Amino acid sequence: MNFGKLIERLAQLIPVLLGVMVIVFFMMALTPGDPVDIMIGEQPISAEQEANLRHDMGLDLPPVERFIKFLGNAVTGNFGLSFFHRRPVIDVIAERLPATIELSLVSIILAILTSIPLGVLAAVKKNTIFDRVSTVGSLFGVSLPGFWFGILLLMLFAVHLRILPVSGRIGYAYEVDAVTHLLLIDSLIAGRLDTFANALSHLFLPALTLGLPMAAILMRVTRTSMLEVMSQDYIIFAEAKGISRTRILIRHALKNALIPTVTVAALETGSLLGGNMIVETVFGWPGLGRLVVESIFVHNYPLVQAAVLFYAVTYVFLNFFADILYTVLNPRVKL
Amino acid sequence: MKKQIVILFTTAVLAVSVAITMPMGMAQAGELRVGYTEDALTLDPANHRARTTQTIIRNMYDGLVTRDPNMKVVPQAAESWKAIDPTTYEVTLQNGITFHDGSPMTSEDVKYTFDRLTRDGAIGGQTSPRKSLVGPVKEVQIVDGRTVRFILSSPWPQFMAFLTLHEVVSKNFTEKVGADGMSKSVMGSGPYKLAKWRKGESVIMERFDGYYGGSQDLKPVGKACSETVIFKTIPENASRVAALLAGDVHIINDLPPHSVRQVENNANTRVMTVNGTRSTFMALNTQKKPFNDIRVRRAVAYAINRQLIVDKILGGKATLINGILGPDAFGKNKNLPAYEFDIAKSKVLLAEAGYPNGLDVTLDVTGKDKDIGQAIASLMTKAGIRTKVVVGESSQLTARFRTKGKPIDGQMYLTSWGNGSLDPVGIFVPTHRTNDRGNSSGYSNSTVDKLLDAANTETDQAKRAGLYSQAEAIVNKDLPKVYLWVAQDLYGVSNRLSGWQPSSDGRINLHDACVK
Repeated sequence: MNFGKLIERLAQLIPVLLGVMVIVFFMMALTPGDPVDIMIGEQPISAEQEANLRHDMGLDLPPVERFIKFLGNAVTGNFGLSFFHRRPVIDVIAERLPATIELSLVSIILAILTSIPLGVLAAVKKNTIFDRVSTVGSLFGVSLPGFWFGILLLMLFAVHLRILPVSGRIGYAYEVDAVTHLLLIDSLIAGRLDTFANALSHLFLPALTLGLPMAAILMRVTRTSMLEVMSQDYIIFAEAKGISRTRILIRHALKNALIPTVTVAALETGSLLGGNMIVETVFGWPGLGRLVVESIFVHNYPLVQAAVLFYAVTYVFLNFFADILYTVLNPRVKL
Repeated sequence: MKKQIVILFTTAVLAVSVAITMPMGMAQAGELRVGYTEDALTLDPANHRARTTQTIIRNMYDGLVTRDPNMKVVPQAAESWKAIDPTTYEVTLQNGITFHDGSPMTSEDVKYTFDRLTRDGAIGGQTSPRKSLVGPVKEVQIVDGRTVRFILSSPWPQFMAFLTLHEVVSKNFTEKVGADGMSKSVMGSGPYKLAKWRKGESVIMERFDGYYGGSQDLKPVGKACSETVIFKTIPENASRVAALLAGDVHIINDLPPHSVRQVENNANTRVMTVNGTRSTFMALNTQKKPFNDIRVRRAVAYAINRQLIVDKILGGKATLINGILGPDAFGKNKNLPAYEFDIAKSKVLLAEAGYPNGLDVTLDVTGKDKDIGQAIASLMTKAGIRTKVVVGESSQLTARFRTKGKPIDGQMYLTSWGNGSLDPVGIFVPTHRTNDRGNSSGYSNSTVDKLLDAANTETDQAKRAGLYSQAEAIVNKDLPKVYLWVAQDLYGVSNRLSGWQPSSDGRINLHDACVK
């Protein structure tokens, strides 16, 4: 991996982002529905006042002109004002982003920490009860729709058992100085274990709902690729050399078996961004996913455009990150 | 590695167990929580156009006038008002009103508030999206420290009704913090002051102990009952209901009808209702066959058993209407004849109109009205009007049906129109005047237009009510829409809550609300 490759990857971003911008802009512009109408709702307005509002929102120009203007501003980092929040889109997104990042990170960590050991165990104990149960379990994990499973968890843990909170990110009584804006980390920095525990209790159900499908998929991938690797010659050779079973599994088999897992994990992290939208709505999580869905419904063009661009950049970088990880895991692969 | 994983697991399990054993932060006495569908978009009372945002910030900002539980306009920060002539209103403030920083509210602040609403670019270069809710207000003149005069460019009988939609801001504070500061901080004169806004999650308010007491017409007058109130954003219906059942919140708005029984059966919660202001109707495209024939429109009306649908789907919680106006609206014609459910009559009318074997039609609905749409369709089909229900997205259907004069693309549209001001100008005009914004049936009747226009400027309220009443009798006969019902607004509340009543205008004013 060298610096030139990184530059090349970054250069590849440009056409991707341009394409995303064109598609999102014109999809939004061509979808029936008028943000001005939505904003006014059912309250009375004169034609002149409506026209003024349209002008204020920059919607009196034809779509192509609007796009050029948007592009020109976007290059300088100006994504305009959110139609409904009436503040810069970047500020609104920045307020919501940390909650989404925190939820996603915890979900990913939860998913990886459970799926890889389970996948390895399932492969090692192939065709035993453990293997069957975990295979069926992972099928459930993939199939359960997030909005349903989330509400089920909520009814059980928050309403009936009353041991976890219903919604939100942290209790009202807790306050922590924002350093990273990730509450778990900030509360640890501040040395406030009670705040940490409270934030964690709020995070637990959403992270479980979000992480479960990812864990299920990763587990199956890990199991399959472990089985494949375990039948390779070098494993048999290692066994013949008398290396301990654990060492073979972890040092020789798992390291190679992880390559497909890493690919899938990177892709799944991308789709986690989509899953966020549902989970954030169910658990009243103040993140970006919910904001974007709400914004799509009310045709808040500037916000949707900026958010989708952000998603695209994230996705491209995740894939790039996965590529780098390959080279670390398998030196035969070159970028 | 295995060891490390085990250690990590153990740590995670331990942390969660610690979290679980922590008290869940059940509401403290004096802390009132509302589970609300949306967060505030901004805290600036002049820079939004959302009723939900206003509901939240109205607990921190008072207006000149407000509404009592019967929706009558009563003074709030104002002590009194009078109409000097049809284009001049004089409003006098109560004595001793202060903003949250202790500075007195004066006529300067009132003038500044309305200048900010009406002048182009007054909010840091942006124009208030609420400008059209101030109507033809041209100027605000200061008479003395407590008195202002509103000068209108033309008579506007709804002036006082629309004055309930605006909150008074502090001139000094607004000038100091600017548009950006106003969007995230609050300096109002309301019963609560802002403690913290966790965006997307909650608005936390604390009691303002220097409160002047609020409207003299709304007892009890004095500072608020609860020490802290929290508007907690819970957009998902099932989660909001769960939060109420778990005791995490004391009031939830927008209780889905299918959850009514669940809330009623719970020992600690109950359902509260109030007449809504949203009229539900089925718009018929009067521009094209088959609904350009009044006999077919009437056949549809006779085919629908409205009471059955209200009982089965809305849990009985709706009032039938025979015209566009809801039961509490100003100028409502109370003597409109009903099209009582009568399949035989419906079939006769169809045969007369040339459809002895019935006809096939399409009913467009949004996802949330799907159940009702299907019930209507099955009733209509029984009468020979074979109806197919198509579910669409709201803004697409709006574009197809609310065409402001362009041809309508569709036959029937199950929809509704809200009327928070309870004045017919907010609902009758847009839905029935030729080519108006909400005229989803392409309806045009010059007599109705004339009556609505005359009522719009008539300052004699009795005459004005009469004009609307006449217009409603005409549309009841013409039937451009099949008028269905005004559903009640449903709230789930905790039994620990007292002193609070839901309000027809959808506001949740927490001044008198207490939690035991």
